[in-house]
Amino acid sequence: MRALLSGSALRDLGRLGLFTAKRLGALLVTVLIGVYLTIVIANMGGKVDELRMVQIRSEVAEQVRADPAFQDLSAEERQRLMERQVQLEVERLRLDEPFFWRSLDYLRQAMLLDLGRAEQMHSDAGSRQVYNIIAERLPATLVLFGTGNLLVFFVSVYAALGLSRRYGSALDRAVIGLAPSSAAPGWFYGIFLILLLAFIAPLFPSGGMVAAPPPESAWAYAASLARHMALPLAAIFISQIFISIYSWRTFFLIHSSEDYVEMARAKGLPERLIERRYILRPSLSPIVTSFLLMLIGLWSGAIILEQVFNWPGLGTLLFEAIGQRDTPVIIGSVVIFAYLLAATVFLLDILYAILDPRVRLDRERS
Amino acid sequence: MAAAPLLEIDDLRLAYATERGTVRAVDGVGLTLRRNEAVVILGESGCGKSSLAKALLRTLPRNAYAPEGRVRLDGAEVLGLPEERFRRQVRWVRIALVMQAAMNALNPVVRVGEQVAEPLRIHRGCSRRQAAARAAEAFAEVGIPGDFLQRYPHELSGGMRQRAVLAMALVTEPDIVVLDEPTSALDVLTQAAIMNVLKRIKRDRGVSFVLITHDVATSSEIADRVALMYAGQVVEEASAEAFFTAPAHPYSQMLMASVPRLHQPEPPQPIPGRPPSLLEPPAGCRFAERCPQRFDRCSEPPPALPLGERHRVRCWLHATGGGRP
Repeated sequence: MRALLSGSALRDLGRLGLFTAKRLGALLVTVLIGVYLTIVIANMGGKVDELRMVQIRSEVAEQVRADPAFQDLSAEERQRLMERQVQLEVERLRLDEPFFWRSLDYLRQAMLLDLGRAEQMHSDAGSRQVYNIIAERLPATLVLFGTGNLLVFFVSVYAALGLSRRYGSALDRAVIGLAPSSAAPGWFYGIFLILLLAFIAPLFPSGGMVAAPPPESAWAYAASLARHMALPLAAIFISQIFISIYSWRTFFLIHSSEDYVEMARAKGLPERLIERRYILRPSLSPIVTSFLLMLIGLWSGAIILEQVFNWPGLGTLLFEAIGQRDTPVIIGSVVIFAYLLAATVFLLDILYAILDPRVRLDRERS
Repeated sequence: MAAAPLLEIDDLRLAYATERGTVRAVDGVGLTLRRNEAVVILGESGCGKSSLAKALLRTLPRNAYAPEGRVRLDGAEVLGLPEERFRRQVRWVRIALVMQAAMNALNPVVRVGEQVAEPLRIHRGCSRRQAAARAAEAFAEVGIPGDFLQRYPHELSGGMRQRAVLAMALVTEPDIVVLDEPTSALDVLTQAAIMNVLKRIKRDRGVSFVLITHDVATSSEIADRVALMYAGQVVEEASAEAFFTAPAHPYSQMLMASVPRLHQPEPPQPIPGRPPSLLEPPAGCRFAERCPQRFDRCSEPPPALPLGERHRVRCWLHATGGGRP
């Protein structure tokens, strides 16, 4: 009997292992495709190489012209020297090989998180490692968009629950009426907020992350950060809150018309318990999905909003990288995003099984 | 009259707001129920019988207007009770509900045993362990193996789910159990098994049932009394014996003639026509349009006329003393 039991447990474990391996394999392929597409696009399918050649030629020419050691060379010798220098640079960057083979090489490096060196950009500390550049900008983005999105998420879920209870009330209709306000993006409200609260009534700074020079003590630094965050945070909040409440409200309305909710009400359970155990609990899977996707969505920041508020985050970084065609920086941030996304999807698969008993059974049956 | 009946419904009205107008789903329903009695509310789909159940427990959809009329439990008016008092004093303490087929009546992410025990924890202040023990007893009573307490609803068959919902209704020992089409989505054998459980519970527990169904055959098995509904009204309320042997309302008669029987040579007779819209019900008798016996007076709305001991008929044929034997 015991042998039989452990046999079935082993089989279960094996099945779980197989399932996990399959999921991981599928996710890896997804990341691979996404990263490769980014490499091809960021290099414009090899077109960037031509631009790079032009750049190399002009740089080499400039170097040779400016170097006093080469002043007394004849024009012909100088030309040969230049050609040789260019040739060396081309070989160093392996521009003489076909783009396709190099792209596979880039892919391998990217997948191994070897993000390489930036072509033009560098971190404020002076590093040209893409990793250092990104790591330097990440906290700024996370603190602003993390606070903003968490605020929007929890406020809207809580408000939506209350609103779904007051279906059709004046408050409910007001929120529905205000939902289209989210058609305008955060930066749009940001511009008005800057105009109103930074220029007409100068209560808050119009941009930046902390006062310059940054305050010494941690408390003063936090206070300065909070003052600088107020306007962008308000912009994020205003632009998202109503549509978010509206959609969660509709979500809860659908889930609160289930038969088992009516049954719970007939059972005389208190309204709070019904909300917790009969509305929130069964609908937790989509809520958690939305929450986690929102969290990794923070990674990329918002390019224009960061520009408007001069916020030194990843959005600004990406904007600069695209402007300067700094492919390693672009690819680097996409690779990290792709891995984060894949990890989140994998985590969600596990969470579904924990949150919803029906998922467990389906898996065992298949 | 002696003690007040256990449940007394008088002139109950319930309407829904819809895009096309106000639907009067329940329009002046009266009904009495005594202790340990089973009343069957019989009627076609859309006649308002489920709305009646919802009005009794006040689990109305959002587009419903507040029900009007009187509902008395042991003589005490409950329809006007404030929501919180109604929840504490009536729901599951006095009246419990068994919903249809239990398909979706159970929370999919909470173990069945926990859901059955829940009313005890809320209304009787039982500890978790006490509640679980009583839930196990209730499971045994309706014929579910004890280890099913630990299962989730999707791990139970339709019949088992229906039994679990029944156990949930019995666990707090309410006076009245309202059963809304408890067997309609089940196969015949399971239906019979559930009906047997109901009969046994009624005998052993002395509980009263309000059974809502469209199934004449099933209802005849357990009914002490029958209330036949048509277009939002009770057209005949009678003892089961009187109703099944000598129905008085033309609709009752035609309904009984439409049911196939084992030892009856003639084929069942369907009722021609369809029920009127509840958006604009006819001014007079609501069945008049389909009634072969209609006469001039049917253009006026008939009251519920007494026809003997606890027997009332909403039909002018029975108006003048002894219109019919």
